[in-house]
Amino acid sequence: MWTTQRFPAIWLLPALLPVALMTIYPIAYALWTSMHSVLLLFPDTPFTGIDNYVRVVKSGYFLDALYNSLLFTAIAAPLVVVLGTLTALFLQRRFLGSKIVRSIVLLPWVLPGAISAVLWIWVFHPSFGVLNGTLRALGAIDGSIPWLTSPKLALISVVVAHVWTQIPFAVVLIMAALSAINSETLEAAAIDCRSPARRFRHVILPEIKPMIVVLLIYNALAAFTTYDLVYAMTGGGPGTATTLLSFQIWKESFSMYDFGTGSAVAFIVVAISAVMILAITRALPSDLFEGD
Amino acid sequence: MKLCKLLTAAVLVSGAFLTNPTMAEDITLEFAVWNYSLETIQDNVKKFEAANPGIKVKVTDYTWPDYQDSLVLRFRGGTPTDVIYGGQDWLPAWAAGGFVAPLDDIAPAGAVDDLKKDIAGFALSDMTYKGKLYGLPYYADTISFIYNKKILEDKGIAVPKTWEEVTAAAEELKAGGMEHPISYEYNQELPNFFDAFVAQAYGRGAQLFDAEQKAAFDNPENGAYKQLQWLADAFSKGLVQPETHESKIILAMNTGQHAFTVVFNYVLAAMNNAADQPLAGQFALAPMPGEAHTTLGFSKFYAVTAKTAADPARAEAAWKFINFMAGKPYTVAKRWAAEKGLGFGQLPLFEDQSVIEAWGKWIDMPTLKQQVATARAGTWTEWGSQWSAYFRPLLAKAMVGEAPVEQVMKDGAERWNQMREQFASR
Repeated sequence: MWTTQRFPAIWLLPALLPVALMTIYPIAYALWTSMHSVLLLFPDTPFTGIDNYVRVVKSGYFLDALYNSLLFTAIAAPLVVVLGTLTALFLQRRFLGSKIVRSIVLLPWVLPGAISAVLWIWVFHPSFGVLNGTLRALGAIDGSIPWLTSPKLALISVVVAHVWTQIPFAVVLIMAALSAINSETLEAAAIDCRSPARRFRHVILPEIKPMIVVLLIYNALAAFTTYDLVYAMTGGGPGTATTLLSFQIWKESFSMYDFGTGSAVAFIVVAISAVMILAITRALPSDLFEGD
Repeated sequence: MKLCKLLTAAVLVSGAFLTNPTMAEDITLEFAVWNYSLETIQDNVKKFEAANPGIKVKVTDYTWPDYQDSLVLRFRGGTPTDVIYGGQDWLPAWAAGGFVAPLDDIAPAGAVDDLKKDIAGFALSDMTYKGKLYGLPYYADTISFIYNKKILEDKGIAVPKTWEEVTAAAEELKAGGMEHPISYEYNQELPNFFDAFVAQAYGRGAQLFDAEQKAAFDNPENGAYKQLQWLADAFSKGLVQPETHESKIILAMNTGQHAFTVVFNYVLAAMNNAADQPLAGQFALAPMPGEAHTTLGFSKFYAVTAKTAADPARAEAAWKFINFMAGKPYTVAKRWAAEKGLGFGQLPLFEDQSVIEAWGKWIDMPTLKQQVATARAGTWTEWGSQWSAYFRPLLAKAMVGEAPVEQVMKDGAERWNQMREQFASR
């Protein structure tokens, strides 16, 4: 009598309710907050409509943060996928110590963002950093390059650190996709086509393309919403040189104590992310996932 | 019958509490701190507990960057909190929000006035809101101009007295091969990024705000405006090596590649620490350059929450605790000063032999005493820390030439005046 076919919704309720509670309620509360003046130091929270959104869009930092976020995403996401794919292709080969190398490559994955940031601060440090030290030793520079305090270099430095933290996940997924390719197909390709580049383009790439697309979407979102590295490495600076929209959510909420404006920035980030996902998926060929 | 037994048991339990005063009267104070030298804090707490049977203190610590946010969330979330570390920049907002209480509400009559007489002027100002004292000093310090004695002596350069002389000295050192003569803490996320700027402007005698607390620093004749222009020029001339944290300034100055910096005095203590710094002893304090030679003094302090002040028993225990930590005979303040090099707001400690001996190893005490005597407090308002969070990135931009000084000062002043009006209307 009580079969899943007759009352599917009721059977799903125990799973759906907690999910709804954990997602819909916070989102609804954030939406409510974004339409009220929620200053942490005042107990009253008057309704402000879209004032918080207007203030965010008109603020001096918004265009900078939007530009930085889009630039950061446009550089970081493809870079992670390309480097991740190249690393995966390299690690797929068997060589002496390959297992050790694989473990080392995965290391950045297990480090928390804040630890990675501290590590990269020391790499980029102008006086004691590994990078400037190496460049000096090679005779490439005389003085020191202010990697994190120069407005022109700071964003690039943070991108490098971000890409480093994201590559291991890309490597794991691409290696999984590579291992799923039929070994007979690879053997036939090796006989028919001697150029590794052409073999990759015509045989391997079509097989791993769906995974690459998934990775691209994931990394675009990860880059667009990244926060911890910026917070720890540059604090969004110098000025607004590395201020990303996601960092501004924290800044408005926890530095300026304006949770209303912070939530408004958060919803703007969500809206842009949704448009981004839609644009990427629309741009894909419709038969991409066929046969999966 | 059952009811009878229950009543008997209840009477027995109540009796046990009444005959055992420790169980009946024990109070556990919730003490929120940032985690600087936690072991010393815990040890001081132990000593207090030993001297005050019946009062326990539970310490909850946060990292410095998270402290302010965490405390505000504790207040708003109703987390039991009795005694806290307060800060001069947070006090107006916390007091206006009704989170902390004036000490007169909890101290015995005359006790606060008696302690006030010993506290440095800037520290007293920092702990006062609308004429009432809200704290006793845990740590009070000045932001100082530090130079490398040996480098200047070797090059025959006099200790600069104005910012223009600092530029001239730095340019001479740069011409002599020192890449960046000035090491500067450049981290816009830290409140002291703004405080250090104010300290330099005070050196010029700047008044950043007028008597009605309206912004005055956007006037090109204002010392703060001139100082930002000076910083932007120094950066553009390549005289400055930016560092992200004071801990790195200690290392950088000890490479001998920099001659000047502006930092808290405890950083000077660390620079001159012979145990782990190669150039220890070479660094000295000089009066803040500028026509006025004044600097910014500030105070971190013990404060009591309003909720605790409203409960007579807890209020009494809280007063005993902060009086132990910061009151006469200043044993705890002396300990912080002697062991850790932390500054103090209790002026009699300048005459204390153990402090003079400990501090004399790394700082010139007469110069410091003079600096403390002339130090000025900051302008701290209900909206100050939020405004500072807005203004610091603008300052950072101007310093590295990403925005014109005029625009930054204009934006900062507009925002200040806007927030001032906004808070007045709430």
